[in-house]
Amino acid sequence: MEVKILTQHYDKPEYQSLEGYKKYEGYQQLKKALTLKPEAITEMVKQAGLRGRGGAGFPAGVKWGFLPNNGKKRYLICNADEGEPGTFKDRAMMDRAPHQLIEGMIISAFAINSPKSYIYIRGEYFESKRIVEKAIKEAYAANLLGDNILGSGFSHHMDIYSGAGAYICGEETGLISSLEGKKGQPKLKPPFPAIEGYLAHPTIVNNVETLAAVTIIIRDGVEGYRKYGTEKSPGTKLFSVSGNVVKPGNYEIPLGTPLKDVIFNLCGGLKQGRKLKAVIPGGSSAPVLNEEEAMSVNMDYEDLADKGSMLGSGAIIVIDDSNSMVELLQVLMHFYHHESCGQCTPCREGTGWLSKLSNSILEGSASLNDVKLLEKVANHMKGKTICALSDAAAFPVLSFVSKFKEEFISAATANVALQFQSKNGQSYKRG
Amino acid sequence: MSDKKENLVSCVVNGKSVTVSKNTSIIKAFKAAGEDIAHYCYHPGLSVAGCCRLCMVEIEGNPRTQIACNTMVAEGMKITNQSEKIKEDVQWGLDFHLLNHPLDCPICDQAGECGLQEQYMKFGQYEPEMNQNKVKKNKVVSLGEKIVLDTERCILCSRCVRFTDEVSKTHELGIFNRGDRSEVGTFNGKELNNDYALNTVDICPVGALTSKDFRFKQRVWYLKRAEAICTGCSTGCSIYLDYNDEGFFRVMPKPNENNNSYWMCDEGRDLYQHLNPKKRLVQVCPSQSINASSSEEAVQGLKTTLENITDKTKVGVLVTGQYSVEDYQAFFSSIKEKTSIEKVYHWFDQKNSENDFDDLLIRGDKNPNTKGLLSVTKDLSLNLVDSLELKNTASHLDVLIVLGPEYNKFFSTLDEKIAMFKKAGQVFYFSSVKLEALDALSNVTQIPLPSLVERGGTYINYKGLEQKVAILPKVISGILNFSEIAKVLRGEKVQLEPVFLKTQKVKDNQFNFQKK
Repeated sequence: MEVKILTQHYDKPEYQSLEGYKKYEGYQQLKKALTLKPEAITEMVKQAGLRGRGGAGFPAGVKWGFLPNNGKKRYLICNADEGEPGTFKDRAMMDRAPHQLIEGMIISAFAINSPKSYIYIRGEYFESKRIVEKAIKEAYAANLLGDNILGSGFSHHMDIYSGAGAYICGEETGLISSLEGKKGQPKLKPPFPAIEGYLAHPTIVNNVETLAAVTIIIRDGVEGYRKYGTEKSPGTKLFSVSGNVVKPGNYEIPLGTPLKDVIFNLCGGLKQGRKLKAVIPGGSSAPVLNEEEAMSVNMDYEDLADKGSMLGSGAIIVIDDSNSMVELLQVLMHFYHHESCGQCTPCREGTGWLSKLSNSILEGSASLNDVKLLEKVANHMKGKTICALSDAAAFPVLSFVSKFKEEFISAATANVALQFQSKNGQSYKRG
Repeated sequence: MSDKKENLVSCVVNGKSVTVSKNTSIIKAFKAAGEDIAHYCYHPGLSVAGCCRLCMVEIEGNPRTQIACNTMVAEGMKITNQSEKIKEDVQWGLDFHLLNHPLDCPICDQAGECGLQEQYMKFGQYEPEMNQNKVKKNKVVSLGEKIVLDTERCILCSRCVRFTDEVSKTHELGIFNRGDRSEVGTFNGKELNNDYALNTVDICPVGALTSKDFRFKQRVWYLKRAEAICTGCSTGCSIYLDYNDEGFFRVMPKPNENNNSYWMCDEGRDLYQHLNPKKRLVQVCPSQSINASSSEEAVQGLKTTLENITDKTKVGVLVTGQYSVEDYQAFFSSIKEKTSIEKVYHWFDQKNSENDFDDLLIRGDKNPNTKGLLSVTKDLSLNLVDSLELKNTASHLDVLIVLGPEYNKFFSTLDEKIAMFKKAGQVFYFSSVKLEALDALSNVTQIPLPSLVERGGTYINYKGLEQKVAILPKVISGILNFSEIAKVLRGEKVQLEPVFLKTQKVKDNQFNFQKK
């Protein structure tokens, strides 16, 4: 069931270095790409149907096609600010195969004719930053980066920039603001980054996995890439599985694989024979699936959307019956309250309100009306703001409360904290 | 609209057809159609922030609601903010704004002109459902000499931050921290003391930024509003003067696209003080030779003096560019009837060059009507010369008639002029404001004038823009305006209007109390 295409050589420690990477056809695809026409590469990525792996799932080739021909310098930014709770795939990709990312980035930069790219890496990823930095140096030394790459006449420079740990900087315009040296706050759209992005230049922001997959498309061609996955969601994807499974971790599987198989076959099922309660299929922002939905869903963009959720960043959080959904929601709301940038009023005030409401429901100091209010507030937060953080906070609320209503109602009327004793004995009262 | 037809688009706003130029935002189309739309962060003089999320509209054919400030109109677009969906959105938007707002309206200086209050009465009026504790933030934060900040009242619309970034370009302000802990503040060590800082108070839609000068002096619903122009420099910003029968209290910029846009400088805001009795020349200060007890007597004294002089070259006139075109016309013609004046000395503040400009509003020429003075003297064939000449000629003059500055804070050469007054025979000093240094001079008769808004008239600014100042009732009794002075000089009788201020003495004490 696992198909190792991107992660084929991840078990080999030498794959981290340029020398080791070259042993396994490293940078061969770059050489091949440099002989192609840039437009041809964009067309290949379009045809292959590669969709953004960061969360939104927007077709990468289509995004590249938005770049205007206004003679302005174009920038490529790799979004390595992996902050979505539950996601840890980009970190593995950068740690194990930094050159795979760099190769993908140079090919993508060649395709969109960009002389400069940045890797915006999450502030907490010190080790990954060190690894990628070293790989960039190696690539420069081997003329894989810099002026006149491998004598092709194409020049490209690459830098790595470390964020300061804000979740919001994973949103592409927030990332651009941060990269520009401003406060990491999303920008109003339109204009979209492809038209006016970094320093008001046309800019493409792609996820680590998306850029790495470009190399695979060059290697295997459109047909080869489309061999796996479904018609509308082609290719393989890395899923970060966490929660109450026996073997959590990163798994590369073709899109369209049933979630049931991922949990019960790949990840060894649930711990101590516990019962599946719910699954968050695409990072904490994705609406939660109940057991029935989780057992029938296929892991691709369309089927998850049909079930009212989303693939997101591919972080599968498995929840068994030992967990209180009320407690989980409170943790999530604490997160979104903490991470809201504070720019748009509904999100700034709403996330705080949701956090306070879920706190009091968990503490048992809430009323039944507060459960209704939770949904009401969330309903008036979605689709009202500049970026999707407000939606990301509202979706879990709406899905948690609608699918596990009984639990919320009983929590609102009794002190649920007694039923689900916190593991570390921490107080539920958070700031 | 003078735009060509191809640059125009027509759209329908709440059922009303409206034609606007291309690339107009929906919010501007709403304003053009005269339709109400709630908003806090949008300000026509600043960039679009799109963060208050109140100006939501529904566009026919678009399933998602849009913000009107960042969406452009298109031909045939049908836009509404009257649907139930939008009304609910706006109500919730308000609820979010008020969630952590302290609701301390009874002690808030903004009450009565507060955006939150206005929108709540228009779009809100719901029962709040928030029963959690509010976020506590800093209160009474001094941002410098002029402004106080209450971060709990702040709704983080970022107008003030954008103002310091885009208009004053001084960058003192920022929004610090994240989420509902966000607070407006100044960057380390900086104070909000730039020349335009008080505009942030005007554009603050709530009571977060208040002026140290104005706060707690008056409830705004007790104030009347008059339109005038600022006489602080040759830009002549359009202003509002807020006053009631206790005096003048505040100057605020009046939006004027042709001149000052939405702003004015902080120096100009002191104008109101020069209109109140405290800084005014309230009665005649007689000199050795003119022993007058009223303005009328003093002017009669001037009349007699002029009539008695045989050598007409011994009469000099020194004027500042602070008076209106009508004032100059009345004054010069009446003086000309009495005596032949060849030269008019132009009192121009030499410290600043006429062409100094700070690239925003403040100009080096501290006179609001230099252009008007030039045109009147030209029409009357008077020779306007630099007042520096007076250094040599003052001692030859028997009579010097002075139209002094109204706004003497800007006149750095006052001392130099006073030294010249000593040399002249007799000085008739007309001004609306008190100049204490003159009291020591025995040859100077000080005659009070009505202030800018008591005289009214036309002012011509640096670029030739003619602006009118409406006339308000007089604050001080027994003062003559220029046409009345002209009448007295011609030997006619004048009838003086009653003053409008209530018990003046009590009010003066009150000002002293407030200054502490």
